Amino acid sequence: MTGVYISDVGITRFGRRKEPLQTLMYEAYENAVSTIEPKFDAVFIGCMNPDEFVGDSNFATLIVDYFGLYQTPSVRIDNAPASGSAAFEQAFFSIASGQYEKVLVLAGEKMSTLPTSMVTKILSKLIDNYERCTGATMPALAALVTRRYMHEYGLSREDLALAAVKNHHNGTLNPYAQFQKEITVEDVLKSKMISDPLHLYDCASISDGACAAILTSKKTDVKVAGIGHATDFLSLQYRNSLTSFNATKVAAKRAYDRAHKRPKDIDVAEVHDAFTILEMVNPEDLGFFKPGEGIEALVNGKTQLSGELPINTSGGLKARGHPVGATGLAQICEIVWQFRGEAGKRQVPAKIGLCHNIGGFVNNNIVTILESC
Amino acid sequence: MQASKCNCGKIVVLYRKICPNCGKQMTSIEFENDAEILTHTKLYTVPEGFNSPIFLALVEFEQGIKLLCECKNEDDLKIGKKGKVIKEKNKYYFVGNNKERLLSFFFF
Repeated sequence: MTGVYISDVGITRFGRRKEPLQTLMYEAYENAVSTIEPKFDAVFIGCMNPDEFVGDSNFATLIVDYFGLYQTPSVRIDNAPASGSAAFEQAFFSIASGQYEKVLVLAGEKMSTLPTSMVTKILSKLIDNYERCTGATMPALAALVTRRYMHEYGLSREDLALAAVKNHHNGTLNPYAQFQKEITVEDVLKSKMISDPLHLYDCASISDGACAAILTSKKTDVKVAGIGHATDFLSLQYRNSLTSFNATKVAAKRAYDRAHKRPKDIDVAEVHDAFTILEMVNPEDLGFFKPGEGIEALVNGKTQLSGELPINTSGGLKARGHPVGATGLAQICEIVWQFRGEAGKRQVPAKIGLCHNIGGFVNNNIVTILESC
Repeated sequence: MQASKCNCGKIVVLYRKICPNCGKQMTSIEFENDAEILTHTKLYTVPEGFNSPIFLALVEFEQGIKLLCECKNEDDLKIGKKGKVIKEKNKYYFVGNNKERLLSFFFF
């Protein structure tokens, strides 16, 4: 298998953006490279739903046309909110197989054009049809998991809010983050109730943004050490556990095995905190902490910037923003910046990093391990 | 109540032919509608076309069978609350064990 390396990464400011999605993707590409040389063996685009969010389908052709990449093979990959990492994964395979030498990965979403009720409806289509017919939304399913986790492990509502407080703090240090302001536990608990016990500040926001990465077979300072991918039952009611997600556990094991790494080797991680409860459950499922110990890790600052395992240095989905298709690649950008010492005031020492991206309600998960070399 | 059961041990509510766990054929089984709430939520921000709030409970039946239901009574939303699941217009509702409430539900 050919080694796969990352040469360049770029990202746009996340948040409510006026520009069309293709313009945001071009901005991310411009931010990634020092000189514009649009010549690639292929383009892989992670974008969940341009059809409903911006009214464009055949988006892969639209992008190569817009970028001036005449005749270049291009494909759009929809893997729910794990579209960004899924596009990265397919790009990785294309080089690992020896077929391509240099490919462009783009990922993005533009969601703010629609009212919240419409965005909620579109995102609810990720849920099993029966569960969706009850009115269940993504925050509702997260709320069900939250209450069960609180019941089983004694998590307090105040301690849960610390996940949002920490990630907002990291967001203040990230110029690309949608939210760059500190919040308090009280702010979280006073924010609007979305699905009891989850408040507005427990949930990632509706956001616009894009990312770009260039993958190459030529050795660079960042190696893609291993990618693991796994699925789980579509319905929450079919799952074997309500406080742990098997798709994360299996994807992580596959990634660790392929990268020849263990959880304790990881220096920095970006985990999919679409809801605060996931900042408890994901690190446990990734093997960083035992079940229920995610609480103590957060409360005692183990996962903050100065902690032994900084998690979501970028601000995570909570503060950086969550344009669904962009998120997986945004996580990878952050790890590359951490390796290269380009993370500014949120810089942490890191040689090995892990990204964990969730598709659907935690049922199509991708874990990517990167290594500085 | 009806569920689909596979030789691999997986049991799911609602009819389906193919086991989501192993891909083999499932067979139909019957089970009692006695259930207990595992977790619940009051959903305020609802999708377009729904009225807020919605009371949701994920309940467990015998043999570990689980189902997401609506609750008509907010008071029933408690982990460990026992009751029955009743089908009404293709929707499943959890009704907590409380005689008056069960009667009022039937005559409502």
